[in-house]
Amino acid sequence: MSSYTGGRAGLTGAERTIEADSWRIGETTLTSRFFLGTGLFPNPYVQMEAIEASGAEVLTFAIRRVNLDAAEDDSILQHLQGHSFIYLPNTSGARTADEAVRIARLSRASGLSDWIKVEISANERTLLPDPIETLKATEILVKEGFTVLPYISDDPVICKRLEEAGAAAVMPGAAPIGTGLGLLNPYNIGLIVEESTVPVIVDAGLGTASDVTKAMELGVSGVLMNTPVAKSKDPVRMAEAMKHAITAGRLAYLSGRMAKKRYASASSGLDSFKLQ
Amino acid sequence: MKQRILVMGGGVIGLASAFELAGRGYEVTVLEAGRCGGQASGAAAGMLAPYSENLESPDDFFQLCRASLELYPEWQRRVRQVSACGFEYTASGSLYAVCHEADMLALESRRLWQREHGSSAEILEGDRLFAAEAQLSRQVRAALWTPEESHVYAPDYVKALEQGCRRLGVQIEEDLGGIRLGDLDERIEAAAADGRFFTGDQLVIAAGAWAGEWSGLLGIRIPVRPIRGQICAYRAEGSDPPLRHMVFSSQGYLVQKEGGTLVCGASEDMAGFDTSVTERGIDRLIHWNKKMIPALEGRKPFHRWAGLRPATQDGAPLIGRLQGHPRVLLAVGHYRNGILLSPVTAKLTADCIDGRALPAWCAAFRPERFGPV
Repeated sequence: MSSYTGGRAGLTGAERTIEADSWRIGETTLTSRFFLGTGLFPNPYVQMEAIEASGAEVLTFAIRRVNLDAAEDDSILQHLQGHSFIYLPNTSGARTADEAVRIARLSRASGLSDWIKVEISANERTLLPDPIETLKATEILVKEGFTVLPYISDDPVICKRLEEAGAAAVMPGAAPIGTGLGLLNPYNIGLIVEESTVPVIVDAGLGTASDVTKAMELGVSGVLMNTPVAKSKDPVRMAEAMKHAITAGRLAYLSGRMAKKRYASASSGLDSFKLQ
Repeated sequence: MKQRILVMGGGVIGLASAFELAGRGYEVTVLEAGRCGGQASGAAAGMLAPYSENLESPDDFFQLCRASLELYPEWQRRVRQVSACGFEYTASGSLYAVCHEADMLALESRRLWQREHGSSAEILEGDRLFAAEAQLSRQVRAALWTPEESHVYAPDYVKALEQGCRRLGVQIEEDLGGIRLGDLDERIEAAAADGRFFTGDQLVIAAGAWAGEWSGLLGIRIPVRPIRGQICAYRAEGSDPPLRHMVFSSQGYLVQKEGGTLVCGASEDMAGFDTSVTERGIDRLIHWNKKMIPALEGRKPFHRWAGLRPATQDGAPLIGRLQGHPRVLLAVGHYRNGILLSPVTAKLTADCIDGRALPAWCAAFRPERFGPV
């Protein structure tokens, strides 16, 4: 992991580790582990600065909000012209698999991306994902050749089923969308990571940098966020904080944490100094 | 003796504050580098639309917008009466139009929370929708109808405020060019480039997109930046039925003014303090708006213009007294909502000058919240 990448004098070992620590979704190699949502920012200036500070390579947005006939004219996407981001459009607002599939097809037909975040909610108060409809939509869209990243509840069984259906990654929520409650069930996220053979991306519900670090320490491949960045007092600085939090959690995960102990222990054990 | 208040900035926020302060018996001078209402204020489409501008949740900024909408009926009556100037104020209501089935969930969430905050919004679809607004494209799937929203004709409203200020004895000093501030502690001293010199007991900075210039002097971060907003307008054609509501969408808005002019906004971009209009900025409006109102197909706008919207780092304005300089107040950073927020900002500013504490929820607008320089 920490092999020297060459030609980059002045990098610390940890920086080299992060630089060499790329990962893949489908056929695409990614360096950043930060997926950033483009909604809710106070204005386009702050949005662009925050995207820059985040180092994100993948940006997500709701297809229903986009002007699909002319993406280059869209009120949000117009500001991203001239950059080389990977777009992860989402089907937010869909209430059934059929709706999500229709939205995904519209998105691909517009030439935006063949990546799709399946997001299907049946309840306007919690916006929690409907697992059955999500699985159905994933099956259909995988067959149609999409790179499918479903947003799903933090349930290891449904995550496995989505993987078997051909999802390119699974994206369990930390907590309901926009709540900022943080990682409500780290045990489940840990299990999902253990059992998954595709990348696990924690999507939704994170609130601040420590939530992100905790998620990354569990071994997830990345995190997807929007509200905790866009709705902070300083979205640009928060984007950078989140970037560092991802790095910290990732390095801690790669390093392997010490075992937890019940009592204090001296680093040189007392027993070894006792005369027999 | 009357306290003397200097208001720096003759835009809608400065003029509204001066109007309110003069009404409360202060001796007010407005200092304007150029002409009153010459920047964002005169360029605004004048929509009073807290519900259509705040889609997500009832946060403090929404509350400020809503509070200002509630002040409007009485406020505009007073401005009209004092100034003896007329300006359009139309209780049109608004339609927030959506084109995807997937928008229905978000529209319904919005209807639910906004109805708990003073809106009587309903979702209109099909025949009801097109009966309410005949010109709308049949591609529009549904719209959230908010009867409470209204609009003013901003250039006339700002002129009326200016005239109202003069009638209340406010001294308005225009074309000052650069203004330098001297002492801020014993009293307020301001010097214009041409040598004119002004003093006052307190200072209200209402400098819009230019507010950041005072950051160094005041010792605080004022993260206000200009976002250019480009707008275009069409002349009415005899055959068109009038657009009865303001129409919003994720891509822009349309509003018809008295006399039939149809205003379409806005393309936002970052171009520093440049207020020129670009082909690209106007073309994206022209491409989009004919999909909302098919009658606009093939028509050319007769007027195009741009204004600089003072945008802040967290989206909320800076309103209130500085602890570090107790004679100085800020009223800046109103972004897309300066016309709407003018009465509430004037009231809060005058309350501060009166020595009253602002309500607790106004902490979200504290001018020192971004920390020292």
